[in-house]
Amino acid sequence: MRKHLRFFPTLFFMLFAQVAFSQQADRITGFFPGISFLRFVELVEGETSYRFYLKELDVKDLTVNLQAKEDKLEDVLTVIFDKTDLKFSISNQKEVFISKGEKLVVKFAPDYFLQNTASSSSLVQDEFVRNRRYTLGTPGPGTEATLSGVITSLENQKPIEGAIVYERESQRQTLTNREGRYEITLPKGDQTLLIQNIGGYTEQRLLNIQGDAALDITIGEGIFSLSEVIVRSGALTNVSRPEMGVQSLSVQQLRKLPAVMGEVDIIRGILTMPGVNTAGEASVGFNVRGGAADQNLILLDQNTLYNPSHLFGFFSAVNSDMVQGVELYKAGIPVSYGGRLSSVLQVTPKAGRQDKIGGSGGIGPMTSRLSLDGPIGKNTTFVVGTRLTYSDWLLDYLEERADLGASRAQFGDFNASIQHQLGEKDKIRASGYFSKDKFQFDPDTVYSYSNLNYALTWTHYFNDDLEADFSAGQDKYDFEVQGEDNPLNSYLYGFDITQTFLKALFRHEKGDRHIFTYGFHGIHYDLNPGKIDPLGAESIVIPDEVPREKGLEASLFLGDEFEVNEKLTLSGGIRLNWFGYFGPQTLPEYAPGEPFLPENIIGETNYGDGELVKSYLGPEMRLSGRYALNNWSSIKAGVNTMRQSIHLLSNSSVITPTDTWKLSDTFIQPQTGIQYALGYFRNLENNAIEFSAELYYRTMNNLLDYRSGATLVLNDRIEQDVLVTKGKAYGVELYLKKVTGKLNGSFAYTYSRSLMLTDPTERKEQVNRSEWYPSNFDQPHTANLVLNYELSRRVNTTLAGKYSTGRPVTLPVAKFEYGGSERVYFADRNSFRIPDYFRLDLSVNLEGNHKVNKVAHGSWSFGVYNILGRDNAYSVYYIPEEGKLNGYQLSIFAEPIPFVSYNFRF
Amino acid sequence: MTEMKSVVEKLLGAFPNRALINISSVAMGYLGRICGVGGILLFLFSCRTPFDPEPQGKSVAILVVEGYLDADGKKSELRLSRMTDLDSLNAYSPELNATAYLESSAGTRYYLEEKGDGIYLFEETLSFDLSYRLSIQLQNGEQYQSDEIIPIETPEIFDAGFVKDEEGVEIFVNTQGNEQADDFLWTFQEDWIFRPYTLAPFIYDQTLREVRDRTPAEDIYTCFRTEPNPGILLETSSRFQEQVVFRQTITEIPTGDERLQARYSILINQMAIPSDAVKFWEILKKNTEEIGSIFSPLPAVISGNIHGLETSNLAVGQVNIGKVRQRRIYINRADVSPWNYSNKVFSGCYVDDVPLLIGSFEYHFLFGSGSHLPARPFLGDGPILATYIIGYNPIETRCADCTLYASKVKPEFWEDE
Repeated sequence: MRKHLRFFPTLFFMLFAQVAFSQQADRITGFFPGISFLRFVELVEGETSYRFYLKELDVKDLTVNLQAKEDKLEDVLTVIFDKTDLKFSISNQKEVFISKGEKLVVKFAPDYFLQNTASSSSLVQDEFVRNRRYTLGTPGPGTEATLSGVITSLENQKPIEGAIVYERESQRQTLTNREGRYEITLPKGDQTLLIQNIGGYTEQRLLNIQGDAALDITIGEGIFSLSEVIVRSGALTNVSRPEMGVQSLSVQQLRKLPAVMGEVDIIRGILTMPGVNTAGEASVGFNVRGGAADQNLILLDQNTLYNPSHLFGFFSAVNSDMVQGVELYKAGIPVSYGGRLSSVLQVTPKAGRQDKIGGSGGIGPMTSRLSLDGPIGKNTTFVVGTRLTYSDWLLDYLEERADLGASRAQFGDFNASIQHQLGEKDKIRASGYFSKDKFQFDPDTVYSYSNLNYALTWTHYFNDDLEADFSAGQDKYDFEVQGEDNPLNSYLYGFDITQTFLKALFRHEKGDRHIFTYGFHGIHYDLNPGKIDPLGAESIVIPDEVPREKGLEASLFLGDEFEVNEKLTLSGGIRLNWFGYFGPQTLPEYAPGEPFLPENIIGETNYGDGELVKSYLGPEMRLSGRYALNNWSSIKAGVNTMRQSIHLLSNSSVITPTDTWKLSDTFIQPQTGIQYALGYFRNLENNAIEFSAELYYRTMNNLLDYRSGATLVLNDRIEQDVLVTKGKAYGVELYLKKVTGKLNGSFAYTYSRSLMLTDPTERKEQVNRSEWYPSNFDQPHTANLVLNYELSRRVNTTLAGKYSTGRPVTLPVAKFEYGGSERVYFADRNSFRIPDYFRLDLSVNLEGNHKVNKVAHGSWSFGVYNILGRDNAYSVYYIPEEGKLNGYQLSIFAEPIPFVSYNFRF
Repeated sequence: MTEMKSVVEKLLGAFPNRALINISSVAMGYLGRICGVGGILLFLFSCRTPFDPEPQGKSVAILVVEGYLDADGKKSELRLSRMTDLDSLNAYSPELNATAYLESSAGTRYYLEEKGDGIYLFEETLSFDLSYRLSIQLQNGEQYQSDEIIPIETPEIFDAGFVKDEEGVEIFVNTQGNEQADDFLWTFQEDWIFRPYTLAPFIYDQTLREVRDRTPAEDIYTCFRTEPNPGILLETSSRFQEQVVFRQTITEIPTGDERLQARYSILINQMAIPSDAVKFWEILKKNTEEIGSIFSPLPAVISGNIHGLETSNLAVGQVNIGKVRQRRIYINRADVSPWNYSNKVFSGCYVDDVPLLIGSFEYHFLFGSGSHLPARPFLGDGPILATYIIGYNPIETRCADCTLYASKVKPEFWEDE
């Protein structure tokens, strides 16, 4: 299929020669701290044989502020002229011509190259390879041709994995694999191929494609990252990728957001995206397109995180130093993911570097973190990272000033992964994550929770078209309260989840137009929904336990990304989901047709160990399509259905650790949902500005809402308190993003509604008379603004703003006397709203200098959270005070909060 | 306007005397404390401000029905009232001239007698084998009816007592549930002697225009204060081994509290209630006491077992029938000694060393106006005392007259030591 042409060795040689050249003297080395361009010219002319030709007027305001080491003049000039309209070209005689506006492009005749390659490699070396047009392939039938080759590093000649290879006009793109290999099909004719290495700059090749050809390219590995390089993979794919409703965030983007308490936080980053909101400020639980917080699947690599927060959401559980990027799928969820109704948040961990052992870390007022990564031997790399609090000193300090009791709060987390290359075709990765939180607010009661996740993944490349990931692992979450208030009533309460999974994922490219994804995903659940035991010999608390629950979820999936033609790409699939609930279990039998209430129990059934109690089988469908209107705009549409068999029992508006998990059983059916979405995507100003508009409508069934006064803790008959509830959500999301320039940023506006309805057939209780009522996270208007201004390469300021409609609350409307006290009577569920939310944050990042050989690179981050000091209501409540009922709103972070942190990497 | 305040203080302050209700109270107690968590972490940053939402316009005047009717012939009350607006001064708006009766499953009707102020008295002996239904007709013609009520015979209070520790005095009961009576509701009434700063055994007689000894009827040293309904407590006995509810805290009196300044009495009412009533009381407690903290649950709709015959007529209330078990205990200050009590209303109180001499202008003016009371007789300050009283050392009336703060009327039940 792939044709290697005769001239391939020559071309290869030519590009290799460039490396040899790198050893020569005419490279630029030196530190240029804000000198004038003319001074820079003088220095370069003094050190090298280059001679400059320019108009002084053109460059009189230009300064040079960079550090270079053995860099090509072309690259240095590209950086200096970035964001100016100055252009340059360099002749064979090392004459540098600088012009304003128009670029002097040397364009060669198609045959020129062929004629010259064999004989004059030295000539080629001198050419500015970026602006030369290469002719590739031999003319043949068809309008398209396939290019393939290897991208290697200029610095160490190693293949570069994950570099983006794309064509400017057609927006087609691909990524290099672990061997640096890429393959891309492009229309024949004159094309501009761009190669972007993550963390590096963009390399360019002008091509005249005649037919299939091989093209190996050597690129610099980003020694030039004087400015933060924005990973533009999201931007590149925004218009062209077939799925919709996907938001990507690189860790570089995350770092630009103001950090509370000095911690870069992935969830806070996600919250700047359209369609994502949070019920409260101190909450890691987030809501996607009107869905509940437990409807988000949070994956750290292959592992599910059941509690993604430390200290109730003040920090994300994932250490940002260990993260390469995050992707949030709000719609168009790939078939390989499933099990949650609203979204998938895939956190991609950082891979260990291969050249040397390095690391990074940070010191903030409450936490510190440190991570190390690098190679062990030739084929193995590792990453380890940890984060710890030392907030106790703060609490101690406060305790001296305020009577806070014996408060203690600690948390820590630990990540590790090791990856080993087993020969050419196999790779093995083992990874683990552990986190622990422990806190107490009085000497008597200790709360703690922990996550423990580990997984083993084996990636096998069968051939160029087929690769597979096989993974197995376990996710554990447990929560515990130890109460020792009174020796007689001392107790130990807890719940836990153990989830063991096995996953096989195949990715198969069939021809040029199909990419099949198929596989199997099995999860075994073992849940302890709640257990209380007496603590100490004196305690008379009776041990109580909600029986353990066991379930098995098995999914088979098949998806296809089908490029119908240049304009139309379809992506679809089916995921067949089977869920079984297993014994040992004793379940009541309710009279047929009667509501699940204690008075309707007519019997009991015992199920033995491993006996199937109840099973559910259902398909999940995914379908989305992208139609390219032209090179810079497309429309997309999609529909997908989801199923969820594990539910968070919570009747508070935010995730709290007492919320316990429950599997679907005979009475609690899996939640199901369907989402329809339509979007328009457009890139402007040569991809510098991205715009998207998405509409969605979704309905959900078997949601869990609870009857009044339901008790969720240690309730072994939860079906008696659950109301059969339907949900619907709809909205429009507008997103504008500017990715380049000194001033960049994004603006997102979302209009969305999220409503619930007690099924009219529900006889236990009908919330609000079985009319649609707003869910706890129905916030119609949400706007997010992130503005970055790069004052210089080392100083970067960010302003972030957030506005949203206040969330619904249930408020009292009348009062009465009962039981000797004044009581309040609450209006319909969620018929009021707390005041609207608005906040502005400001941060300044100061990068240290960029000397390549410095031992460590440090940066300072200063900022103010809630710079306006606005009292945003977190909640409102009424309390009786001296016989009167007074309403209060509680605000968290109601004052401007300054923060500072020091981050370093080495 | 922003009032920086510890969330701990303000939220935990809202839940005094938290008692473990039942198993769910593990979580409730937990949730209550979590606010503390939030409080501590957010100590620096959180604050509360008054919140006054737009009023909805129309008033919600739902009927409120309260009562535990004693089936054993003991006098018990049913209270009928209407809800009032949140900003009204009074939360109690009595429903007058209503007719209420209890009808047994055998068809017998027992009418309640209106006592006034929305209170309707019940004094009948009922069979525990029948079920009952309460019917209410209001003066505007609206009719309400309860669900079927089954009387529950409340087990005896085994023991009621108190223990003292460094935090104060805890009053408790012990009892045991059984198959019928699993859930318990306790209410209590507190009464105590209230004393002024000091005894003033003399009185300025306005007709005699001179100071004489007080008669027992003129005593202003011993008064009584009462707290008729300080709270409700719930517990489920099946939580404990053999359903023994051991040392159920009824109330806690913090060290130095005025209630134990002399003699204190508490009447504990123990009532067994069905489990649906527990739900009602729990919602009531949750809605009032546990709303608004960071992790508090959503407020719940409350209704109870009384419904309007027209579905548009809403009612809130839980009426139950049973036997009220009572136990009264007394605690003297000597029983909890040492009890360092000082009341800040008496700050600045002292008996003046300078006496008001009989016949002086100040004597008639200060004692006659009532601003001061004669506290101690003055027999002169020389080495040889006078053989008769020549004056009185005065004290401000606010320091010696308990009737300014409490009632002189001794409660009917009160037993002196």
